[in-house]
Amino acid sequence: MKKSALAFGLTVIAVGCSNVATGPQAIDWNKIPATKLTLFSPGQSSYQWLRSDAHKGAAKETARGDSCTSCHDDPKEEQLQGAKILRGNHPLEPQIAALKGRNGFIYVNAQAAYDDKNAYLRFQWRPQNHAGTEHPYYRFDGKEWKKYGETVWNKSVKEGKTPALYESRFSVMLDDGKVPGFAQQGCWQTCHTGMIDMPNEAKTEDLAANALLKGKADLRKFVPSTRSNPMDWKSGKSAEEIAKLKEAGGYLDLFQWRGARSHPAGMADDGYVLEYRNSDAGKNMWSGNFDSKSKLPKFMWDEKKVGYKAITVDKLHKGLNYLDPASNAVAFDPNAGWKEGDMLPSNTVSRSHAEGSAADNNTIATWKDGVWTLVLVRPLGLANKDDKPLKAGGVYNVGFAVHDGDIDGRGHLVSYVKTLGLGAKADIQAVKLN
Amino acid sequence: MITRPLIAVAAVVGLSLSAAAFAEIDAEATFKENDCHKCHHATKAKKGPSLAKISARYKEKKLDEKEAVKHMTAGKKVKLDDGSEEDHKIIDTKDVAVQTAVAKWMLTR
Repeated sequence: MKKSALAFGLTVIAVGCSNVATGPQAIDWNKIPATKLTLFSPGQSSYQWLRSDAHKGAAKETARGDSCTSCHDDPKEEQLQGAKILRGNHPLEPQIAALKGRNGFIYVNAQAAYDDKNAYLRFQWRPQNHAGTEHPYYRFDGKEWKKYGETVWNKSVKEGKTPALYESRFSVMLDDGKVPGFAQQGCWQTCHTGMIDMPNEAKTEDLAANALLKGKADLRKFVPSTRSNPMDWKSGKSAEEIAKLKEAGGYLDLFQWRGARSHPAGMADDGYVLEYRNSDAGKNMWSGNFDSKSKLPKFMWDEKKVGYKAITVDKLHKGLNYLDPASNAVAFDPNAGWKEGDMLPSNTVSRSHAEGSAADNNTIATWKDGVWTLVLVRPLGLANKDDKPLKAGGVYNVGFAVHDGDIDGRGHLVSYVKTLGLGAKADIQAVKLN
Repeated sequence: MITRPLIAVAAVVGLSLSAAAFAEIDAEATFKENDCHKCHHATKAKKGPSLAKISARYKEKKLDEKEAVKHMTAGKKVKLDDGSEEDHKIIDTKDVAVQTAVAKWMLTR
């Protein structure tokens, strides 16, 4: 019988976690306390905005390091701020037309456990939109393979030239107390003007002029200590100074579970935020599926294994349409009789592609009745120079983000900073497993 | 279950028969939408005095909601605990009925 990639459904269990008797599947989550988190739309509220007069009555307080929740302490603060930012005329959301109908907040149920080997972080959330396992494709138009799908605020999507197709994400940013200000202001330490779709978006020539950012296409998250003047992203410190900061642990760990580019492999990518949003050493689980020289995809589905070599638009959102060279794909054949409308994913994703420190995070993710249940399995005591080693008794500052509804960048819903304790008192307390 | 007191503006203000005057105003929601709660907690001192303290002070000085409306619309300097001064935020509505509803709500905390 031919095995269809589509027929796998949306549930993926990490290969390294497949022992049901002893692995994370054996955890009785009903016995683990849950913390209800509310994440909200931050709009363009950056590190710089928070310190400006526009952040009414709070610029001075933020600059001196007060926590967000010292003022934003209403029991429904996140709902209030999220709804306000998406109400339609808020200066922090200039792209409101692309976000019409969206909720300004989302609830996330968080639980945690650990044993001698791993920490298990479990999150459940109900996306407003869809599962979010689709990502842009390449579509054959009868002559050429062209990009198909983008984020909701892409110009082509707004003009109706391509559909909104972009993976959802669940992200965790983690600090072990070594990034100044993160315990008080969380993710807002890392979001700055000049980043994608933020005010004064960095120009290519400005990026090229900055030694830290040569070769980068855009500006991404960074921690303030990597700049001489944290209010100005261009004031990057020297490579030597950045290396010292890294050595001293002045970076944030960043785990991102991606609906299309990591989920099919049963993994979450592993990165860190220092002078940029970097990937850990090694290789991620995904890779581009397009040859820029030949202008052709690199891989197609293995028809012998899955029964088709490409999909068409009617198959979108009806299963996991992933392309894994190690299990269900073969090298692209330009003479395979392609028809107009044939589509291939713009990325391949494979556990076999991931290696090194970038391959630390395993996941078990289930989509049921419109709810994602994600268990992130993170080894304890990692010694890599781009990881924060988790240990029993440790308390960490954490920020969470959900990207939902074909959106990227700042279009996420985010949390105020929380604490995660492994057997220690915290907002989210990980329970030791026997 | 906590319910927000809805203030019937027509009864409170007795103003002209505008549509707004007949509407029910959620004063607490307006207070929060204006981020007043960032500085004024119900019972504890934050950057500004608590609502309980404001209410007590108004009672003591026999002031009413008209004075509170002045305070929230004039943008006058206010003195903070650390000795510094700052312009008080101006409420983001010019509707006297709404302003009055918010003032009344605050003074009954």
